Amino acid sequence: MSAAPTETPVLDKRDRITHSGSESPPAAPGFWARLAGNPKAVLLVAALLVAVIAALAGGSGIWPKDLTFDLRTPLTDLNEWLVDNRDTHPLFLYFLLHISNTAQSAVDSVVLGLENLGFIGVTVAAVLVAWAAGGAGLQRRALRTAGTALGAFGLIGLLGMWEPAMETVGLMVVCVVVAALVGVVLGMISGLSDRGERILRPVFDTMQVLPAFSYLLPFVLIFDVGTPSAFVTTVIYAAPPMARLTSLGLRGADAAALEASQSLGATYRQQLFTARLPLARKQMLLGLNQTIMMCLSMVVLASMIGAGGLGEEIYRSLSILDTGQSLTAGIAIVLIAIWLDRTTAVVGERLDDPAAATRRNRSWLPWAVVAAATAGATAVGTALGKLEWPDNWVVSISEPVNSVVDWIESELGSGIPVLGGTLTWASGFAEYVINPLRDALQATPWWALLLVAGVLAYAVGRWKAAVTAVLALGVIGGMGLWTRSMDTLSQVIAALAVTLLLGFAIGVLAGRVDRVERAIRPLLDTLQTIPQFVYLIPMVALFSGGRTAGVASAVLYALPAVVRITNQGIRQIDPAALEASRSLGASTGQQLRQVQLPLARPSLLLAVNQGVVLVLSMVVIAGMIGGGALGVDVVKGLAKGDLALGMTAGIAIVCLGVLLDRISQPGADVKKRGL
Amino acid sequence: MANTSAGASAEGKSETVDTKKSETVDTTKAGAVDTTKAGTVDTKKAEVEETASATVTTGADDRDAVFSVRHLWKVFGPKAKRVPADKELAGLSAAELTERTGCTAAVRDVSFDVQRGEVFVVMGLSGSGKSTLVRTLTRLIEPTSGSISFDGEDVLALDKGKLRELRRHRAAMVFQNFGLLPHRSVLDNVAYGLEIQGVGKAERRAKAQEIVEKVGLAGMEHRRPTQLSGGQQQRVGLARALAVDPEVLLFDEPFSALDPLIRRDMQEEVIRLHREEGRTMVFITHDLSEALRLGDRIMLMRGGEIVQLGTPEEIVANPADEYVRDFVRDVPREQVISVRRAMRPADAEETGSGAALAPDTLVVDAIEAVARSGEHCRVVEGGRTLGVVDHAQLLSVVAGLDDEADAADKKAATV
Repeated sequence: MSAAPTETPVLDKRDRITHSGSESPPAAPGFWARLAGNPKAVLLVAALLVAVIAALAGGSGIWPKDLTFDLRTPLTDLNEWLVDNRDTHPLFLYFLLHISNTAQSAVDSVVLGLENLGFIGVTVAAVLVAWAAGGAGLQRRALRTAGTALGAFGLIGLLGMWEPAMETVGLMVVCVVVAALVGVVLGMISGLSDRGERILRPVFDTMQVLPAFSYLLPFVLIFDVGTPSAFVTTVIYAAPPMARLTSLGLRGADAAALEASQSLGATYRQQLFTARLPLARKQMLLGLNQTIMMCLSMVVLASMIGAGGLGEEIYRSLSILDTGQSLTAGIAIVLIAIWLDRTTAVVGERLDDPAAATRRNRSWLPWAVVAAATAGATAVGTALGKLEWPDNWVVSISEPVNSVVDWIESELGSGIPVLGGTLTWASGFAEYVINPLRDALQATPWWALLLVAGVLAYAVGRWKAAVTAVLALGVIGGMGLWTRSMDTLSQVIAALAVTLLLGFAIGVLAGRVDRVERAIRPLLDTLQTIPQFVYLIPMVALFSGGRTAGVASAVLYALPAVVRITNQGIRQIDPAALEASRSLGASTGQQLRQVQLPLARPSLLLAVNQGVVLVLSMVVIAGMIGGGALGVDVVKGLAKGDLALGMTAGIAIVCLGVLLDRISQPGADVKKRGL
Repeated sequence: MANTSAGASAEGKSETVDTKKSETVDTTKAGAVDTTKAGTVDTKKAEVEETASATVTTGADDRDAVFSVRHLWKVFGPKAKRVPADKELAGLSAAELTERTGCTAAVRDVSFDVQRGEVFVVMGLSGSGKSTLVRTLTRLIEPTSGSISFDGEDVLALDKGKLRELRRHRAAMVFQNFGLLPHRSVLDNVAYGLEIQGVGKAERRAKAQEIVEKVGLAGMEHRRPTQLSGGQQQRVGLARALAVDPEVLLFDEPFSALDPLIRRDMQEEVIRLHREEGRTMVFITHDLSEALRLGDRIMLMRGGEIVQLGTPEEIVANPADEYVRDFVRDVPREQVISVRRAMRPADAEETGSGAALAPDTLVVDAIEAVARSGEHCRVVEGGRTLGVVDHAQLLSVVAGLDDEADAADKKAATV
């Protein structure tokens, strides 16, 4: 205590304390004094010390048997009951089977419709829909969007992916329509009623934290493997963004406009339809865009439960390590994603541009053109007898890709002098980063980890967060999945560390240098539209599977969001504050340390939270390519229809998700999702 | 160690001294505030009674009241109803009220009449309750207690349907932030009120077109609000209110978001509309020059209460208290005060000479007439000479010396 300096600048002191929340600042003079001023930090340091000492003292990291409860037996019973009664029980006969049949027939008829249109008809329809969405006519925007559509569908055909692509698009159409409808209804409930908001908000929040992977299995058992369970999971996964943004739009409507409408004597209904909903249009369109993208991501992922289409191509070829084939299907998916993204985004752009809105064109005319041209193209295709994409128009890239991959593995994999090689790096990373982390986590006594998690959650949140975090960990241990979950957790932590390091560095750079921002923006846009599943492909090619490949794909998947949020945070700070510091002669480093980073703190915390959620969902999926741990249990459960195995792993993943979200969640005021 | 402790104690000492100082300062301040407040409250109350009685008497003339507001309260907060009902709570100051009940009184016991065809300006600084007041008139904000009648009809007793009818046809409002719908063209924004009434498309567009031309937006019918300047947007807001042909136009600080030059244009637009149509207007503003320019009568509010109600001339010439006097200190008096107030009784010989001026001629115009002729002017009403003004009277108005003379006059009159 005597080390306390006599002239500690008060400002500096306060500044430091807010920072020492999670990381320990270097031992500067007065460090202990500062630490003592912050009870939460003291608690955290104490908890960490206890954990480390307990681990070193040789405490066993194994969850005690007495504290487990048996979830497997009831789950196995339920599993058997479901399989036995799926075709006879009234709940299925009169309710669930209807959903399943309706979904199946809807998807079938859309796919059949696409087949009957023929490849010419589909391409013409897709191109013209994009054109009409872009404002029709001969403006650059409409033509550019149409060109994107033409390129996407042409390439899909050329790659020989036409047929599976149509299956995917067919399922997509049905899922998007239903998810959007469900989303709008829920969004209106939560946007117009405060009680609805109070009930639905936490549901949406939790949905956003859950990795999609974790709740596939129950639906497989209820609806059996196939289109219906893919449909239901996709709708559940994709509806929340629509609902959330609809609600946001309804609540954020210009108060003056609403008051004006009220002052003119509008009824509630009139106000809703003439002012409130139109004012929310932009947000709702953004929601639709996100919903479509999440639908695509899930439809592809749902190939594991028999959704068919492009996802199945990837799944099958990944499992036989045919990188070329999986890359071909992956490219087709990305093309579909780009087409959908551009077509929906351009509608929003048009709303922003008043000049486009002023042009008074008859709104039905472009759509009549679309219908007529599609019909014409279909007639031509049928007359020529060319409904399917001609086989001789296919350029196979899978062979060359495979040879490139082989070359990479043999030439770059290992044995490059000094540098090593990708495979060497992969095993090195696994050996020197992931393994020690995992061993440390598994060697630390379970009670010490519970303590650390609780204190951490308390330090960033409140008692409620601490209780939730401890409970989540407790459930994991109680199910007897402690060791496997620590394995997954170690991968998440490793991936998160890399993601944040890279993400903050790139984000800050982009936030300070306009040229960098301009250069990486299109890249980020594209990366964010790619479905999760596709990220696995290049990693398998580079690292030939394993935990490092999983971690690498998780980093790649979470990086765009972290970079984007960091960049925005740096750019959104008050320019006057920065100018003031510059005018006082602050150096670049001083500006960054003293102004930009502290002011961007809420954004950085949000980036951490987003990074955690995204990394976890990807690490789990990477179980398929050798990541092991919980992810592989889910996959096994799905493949064998083993509810006891898959469901417990799924619950453990959910618990991990909740835990990680709680200990990384910034205060409610900065928690704005959907950035 | 000794060093640090000494430093610490020294710090502590200085701190205590500081707090003591500030405390004493605070108490003296508070005391001062209290006494002054008490003083103003008293005078204010007296004024309010006076003005209230004044309005009652003026209300008896040939014009009738459109809005008649009595003892209106709007209290925000938990169990707001009890505040106006409880004499003791009703008498508390704003800070005390918040501390004791958690409530804020935005409008406190306000009574006034708005005469048919006049421009009634409610003026006050932000937080004076003027915007809340105008919203209670059509119950966009429900008042806590009191009564409002519109053409003799009790507004607070209207059911939902009747209230909507009132909002649709009889009173339309223009908002500070325009409140336009960005997804509609100018024409459809103007026609919005008619659409809500259920008027057919062709008819409402025709009517809207007419109004659009009236407010000087011809040629912009098909633009979107975002493509217009602030002044143009407020013209759309004005047109939207005019399109429903309301009995009363309510303006809630309509021009405060505009540039000074454009504000002036818009004020002239309002004056022109009023001249042409003679529609009753209730106009909320925080800008004194705007209030003086537009208002037939001005109601000055402070802390939810009426400070003074009168014509611009009355307010400038006879401020009710120090607060109002401060407010109107910089007003060019010669542009507000009329010769009726400035004149002196005429001598026998003066009644025969000098140019004739109407009694409501402004002093600034009289100055010109006097300067040109070089002699006094007569104030003539209906062929009868009421009095005369010469250099001395006019200069004392400009110099602000007429106040005392005025007071003396009043005394003489009452005696």
